[in-house]
Amino acid sequence: MSNQPETGARRPGFLPIETNWFDRLFIAVVIWVALSLLWLRLIEPLGLSIWIATAISAVVGAVIIWRG
Amino acid sequence: MHSKKLGWLLLSPTLLILGLFGVFPFLYVLWVSFHEWNPFAANPAKLFNWAENYRKLVFDSQFLASLGVTFAFAVFAVGSEILLGYFLAQAFLKDFPGKAFFRTIHTLPLIMAPIIVGSVWKLMATPSIGVIPYILKHTVGFDLNIGTSAVAAFTITVIMDIWHWTPLVTLTMIAALVSLPPDPFEQAQIDGAGKRQIFWHITLPMIRPALIATVFIRLMDAIRTVDEVLMLTGGGPGSATRYVGVHIYKEVFPRTNYGYGSAVSIVVLYLTIVICWLLYVGLIAPRVRKV
Repeated sequence: MSNQPETGARRPGFLPIETNWFDRLFIAVVIWVALSLLWLRLIEPLGLSIWIATAISAVVGAVIIWRG
Repeated sequence: MHSKKLGWLLLSPTLLILGLFGVFPFLYVLWVSFHEWNPFAANPAKLFNWAENYRKLVFDSQFLASLGVTFAFAVFAVGSEILLGYFLAQAFLKDFPGKAFFRTIHTLPLIMAPIIVGSVWKLMATPSIGVIPYILKHTVGFDLNIGTSAVAAFTITVIMDIWHWTPLVTLTMIAALVSLPPDPFEQAQIDGAGKRQIFWHITLPMIRPALIATVFIRLMDAIRTVDEVLMLTGGGPGSATRYVGVHIYKEVFPRTNYGYGSAVSIVVLYLTIVICWLLYVGLIAPRVRKV
């Protein structure tokens, strides 16, 4: 049909496993939730807002989705 | 293009059912988890409280303790079920007198509802009326009391789960073992391989997909176990058998704390998915080839 790669095509990135875009989105969400829960438990009592964890997760998630 | 439209049309009933009974309840629980909600209180309205339920959850010592006992339960129960199930499957592949009878008897626990299993084990394990404490006292002099001993209560719940779910593992292992081609085994025997070598290098790699699928199913089931344990021990003594499912039940139903219960449910679902995903990555996922 066309030479463009399928949207679900697996490609290698810096992650140790072959992933498609949905796998990388999933990994980004998993990291976001884990970081948020750990932040609520360990960092927020020191006075740093949960929104910082959300911003870090957004950046990490974007890197994983594009380069992972 | 036409076949693509037809494909979506044929898929639509399944997607509709999945959306109604899978995705919508999940999204609803996720939404409720960001609220303080007690529908039986003077003010039954949902009050949006951002991440307050999650903030409470990460400091809830009872929830964290329940996570610990749940994972201990899952490891002991699922590990034992896999080992026992495999050996029973091997045994049932051999011919012996009464094989069909034993296979039927062995599969019976599988068709019992968990609440019935809990009731039966409660009758068998209750001190003074149960057959298990009676036999243990009159044979080895051990006084089993699941009402006072945390270790005894935990052990009995693990044994109950093994009794209930080992047949499932046996059936999947039998299906996996009978589907193996005989050629590799014959070749290994001709080459002089021992039983242990055949198991590690031929049988285990060939039944690995079935084994991993069974571990996933049992692990997810073990983490969300509620009814059997609630019936047998009620989560006690103390919090010895207060597994996360029991913890969620007690938060949502007796305490009518729907918002917090939803947050705990979401975190447990998250942990279950992450554990299974890590197992998938560790055992199945295709690796990136280094050039």
